[in-house]
Amino acid sequence: MVGSSLGGFLSGSILAGTPLLYATLGEVISERAGMINLGLEGVMLMGAVVGFSTTVNTGNAVLGVFAAALAGALFNMVFGFLVIGRRANQLASGLALMFCGVGLSALLGATYIGSQIKGLNEIRIPFLSDIPAIGTILFHYDILVYLVVPMAILVWWALFYTRWGLSLRAVGENPAAAFAAGKNPYLLQYQALFIAGLLGGIAGADLSLAVARTWAEWMTAGRGFVAVALVIFSKWHPLRAIAGALLFGGAIALQLQMQARGLPVSPFLLDMLPYLLSLGVLAVWGGARRHTVPASLGQVFQGTE
Amino acid sequence: MDKKGSSIASAFLVILISLVTVLIFNFTGWASAQPKLKVGILHIGSTADAGYNQAHAEGVQAMKRNLPTVELIEVENVPEGADAERVMENMIRQGAKLIIPASFGYLDPALRVAKKYPDVKFEHPGGYKLAPNLGTYWASTPEAFYLMGIAAGKTTKTNKLGYVVALPISFFLANVNAFHLGAQSVNPKVETRVVFTGTFLDPGKEATAANALLDQGIDVLGVIVDSPITVVQAAEKRAAFSVGYHYIGVQKFAPKGWISGIAFTWGELYTRFAKQVMGGTWKSEALLGNLASDYLTVAPFGPAVPADAIKLVNVKKQEFISGKLNVFQGPIKDNKGVERVKAGEAFPVANVGKMDWLVEGIIGQAK
Amino acid sequence: MGLTDERATGAFYFRREWWVRPIRFIGLFGLAFLVFAMVLLAFGKSPVKAYVDIFSSTLGSTYGFSEILVKMIPLTLTAVAVAVPSRIWLINVGGEGQLYIGALFATWGALTFNTLPAWLLLPFISVLGFLGGGLWASISGILRAKGWVSETISTLLLNYVAILLVNFFVFGPWKDPESANYPQTAEFVNAATLPVVGGTRVHLGFVFAIAALILFYFFLSRTRWGLEMRAIGGNPEAARRNGIPISGYIILLMFIGGGLAGLAGMSEVSAIQGRLRPSLSPGYGFIGFLISWMAGGNPLGIVAAAFLLAIVTSGGDILQMAHGLPGSAVNILNALILFVVLSRQGRKRGVKW
Repeated sequence: MVGSSLGGFLSGSILAGTPLLYATLGEVISERAGMINLGLEGVMLMGAVVGFSTTVNTGNAVLGVFAAALAGALFNMVFGFLVIGRRANQLASGLALMFCGVGLSALLGATYIGSQIKGLNEIRIPFLSDIPAIGTILFHYDILVYLVVPMAILVWWALFYTRWGLSLRAVGENPAAAFAAGKNPYLLQYQALFIAGLLGGIAGADLSLAVARTWAEWMTAGRGFVAVALVIFSKWHPLRAIAGALLFGGAIALQLQMQARGLPVSPFLLDMLPYLLSLGVLAVWGGARRHTVPASLGQVFQGTE
Repeated sequence: MDKKGSSIASAFLVILISLVTVLIFNFTGWASAQPKLKVGILHIGSTADAGYNQAHAEGVQAMKRNLPTVELIEVENVPEGADAERVMENMIRQGAKLIIPASFGYLDPALRVAKKYPDVKFEHPGGYKLAPNLGTYWASTPEAFYLMGIAAGKTTKTNKLGYVVALPISFFLANVNAFHLGAQSVNPKVETRVVFTGTFLDPGKEATAANALLDQGIDVLGVIVDSPITVVQAAEKRAAFSVGYHYIGVQKFAPKGWISGIAFTWGELYTRFAKQVMGGTWKSEALLGNLASDYLTVAPFGPAVPADAIKLVNVKKQEFISGKLNVFQGPIKDNKGVERVKAGEAFPVANVGKMDWLVEGIIGQAK
Repeated sequence: MGLTDERATGAFYFRREWWVRPIRFIGLFGLAFLVFAMVLLAFGKSPVKAYVDIFSSTLGSTYGFSEILVKMIPLTLTAVAVAVPSRIWLINVGGEGQLYIGALFATWGALTFNTLPAWLLLPFISVLGFLGGGLWASISGILRAKGWVSETISTLLLNYVAILLVNFFVFGPWKDPESANYPQTAEFVNAATLPVVGGTRVHLGFVFAIAALILFYFFLSRTRWGLEMRAIGGNPEAARRNGIPISGYIILLMFIGGGLAGLAGMSEVSAIQGRLRPSLSPGYGFIGFLISWMAGGNPLGIVAAAFLLAIVTSGGDILQMAHGLPGSAVNILNALILFVVLSRQGRKRGVKW
């Protein structure tokens, strides 16, 4: 085991940041399509509970991940029905979705508390895992960690280099123009939410199957909301979200590392920095077109923007 | 009618319906059978957590088995604060005469409710304030942690030990201090690292903390959070050893690396409480058990612990019970260099509630 | 600033007979209760008995009813905290953070001036609570007035900062030396504790809540400022050209809204908790947002919605005690109520594409 402190910090950040990153990627897609989903917490919880229970019942954690992704996507369709189908207020719908997720996951998970699973196993890559120092930091994880950065790149590519992504972003900026150009905003938004739900469900599964390997009520402990903040911090850009997730995830790991080292900085003041930074960044650069709020984000509510 | 009028109307209708409901239900009231004693217990988490809550839950289940005329009202996941008071009141209204608010943070709400109902008895685990109808109980755990330290000190291969702890509460600090002192007594080279997650239950953070410690070369992980599952599993996954807490059945989560654990087996104690309340002999006191009590148990040892360690643990256990050995025997310096216990003196375990420092050799922040 | 939309904060659009809407309401809620009943059945529980228990435990006794009122106090205050800014289409999702900062300021006052008599100390910490929440919300107000950051985003982000700030003080400089190093402040002296009614926990914060509702209604409909606010809400451009200081109103209304949430925080910490802890609020700020939104920012509707949600949330206790369900399951019912209201909501608005 490598005793390097930097290594420990990095691997802690990677471990803690992975579920955050999945959730954030999903939310980036939603928000780029113009929808802010405060119910991400609920989606993650549904993913976590379905992933865990499936794994308990089938003994197969990979199957659990798939089930979790599907559960997240379907759960997010409720949000879709409300905000797309019924043009309901997005913030309220998101919060309602969160409550539903908290309650439903508690109900479904009640009999699984204290169950044991094997979880997602560490995958050793034959040559890479054996490189001293770097190998231990970067190549001793489960499959979900390995896939998260490629996923971020995939999302980035899809959003910025495909026609689908372009249409999606157009819907998020100016739905009327997108409609006039012949796109179907409804369909695109539903697709965005479905994918976001898949990613949110995977994020939850990562927590219950890989990081903690257990189920507890409300085990996401606010990570869904952190992801919403992370989207803002990353200025709605999937690649920046990687750094953001490392930072936010790293905040937990950093604070723990600092304790282990006896350094006297208050973890709470440290934890505030990412949020204050997000605000600061927005305040200062909010005007720059390229990396800013999708103009029609939450269109229902931003009438006066 | 306009918007305003219809809101008035809807509000009126809602209030009317509620008043009718109130009237109806006031006449029907609560129906309840009359057992000899109703006991209410509040849990801060889930009773299947293989930890703090499950220990309490199994305790009251054992009490019920011993005393079939006792009826149990059990509520899980009660948040500390405003809700706790309401739940306790509801239990009392259902006829509970003995309430066990099983979490540190329920003390204030319990004291308030206790004042309102002088004929209901309360037993609070780990509390530090008494009332005429509220007693506290706990077992002094530092000695047990010292024993764990001995076992850990003899099992570790890297001489690095670690603890994942929820909050730097004095009782927990004392436990970790005792653990380190015990390990040091058999292995002077050990160092212990402590990390605080900041909350009693957050599996994600516990896993991150555990891995952060393991990354530092630690090969024995102890845990003081509500549910030991996450940390023990994390240790097992990386072929490290683990020391459990709260519940006696944690070994199954770490068949190879399990060293031992400290478990609370409250069944007989709760049975005694119930009997006292039923027989009118209950009195309020600050009960502090020790290794000799039937509610503090050392869990069975795992396969990795050397036989001589187990023998030493049993010897020391008897020394604690007989009073020959003191956990916090001076001289002891804290990890900032300040002398806390002078040579020839011993820090009394009853004062553990005031301990806000960590022993020298422990890396971590008590504040 | 562009045109506004009446739907934005959920203002109900209504033309028909006066009894249709309440009936519709009840029908909607009935639907929610029905779906929840099906959920209960799916888990093998009797819905009828469950509902009977929920209502009888909350409304069937004076105590139960008093507890509903106790829960309604912070919910009403945080709901008005959202309703006030919503009149000029500002979205305040920062009630939680404003509540915490209000509690923080009030705690400072209570701990520092703990020798003052109650008639001085209580008003003082009440003002502090209002000030704390108000200042916190004004940050978002100023950011929005200057056109830098949308208040939705800034209030959302500042929630986290507020909770962390409270944690900092409770885990650090303000930690009670008598509590075995547990993260909580020292207990408030009696002079800093809001008095209660009879043997219940209904406290003076009730007066704050009622006052907030009445003042809100009064200012909005009967004063010049209310008129100006409604003008901004109706047509901001025209309002600006008529010389109404929009920026000023933005900051002022955010301040007032935040202040009310701060009062909620102050009253929770003073009357209910007795000391400041990290677990001060179970999401009152967010639930308040939902209440205000459900009620269309309308004072009476706020009372009704707060009442309903308080009953459902308190009902979680009995679901657990008597029916063996996780208490959290009642969140599903809350969510269902919200869903049905939401799905009726936005029907008639917006671009049809």
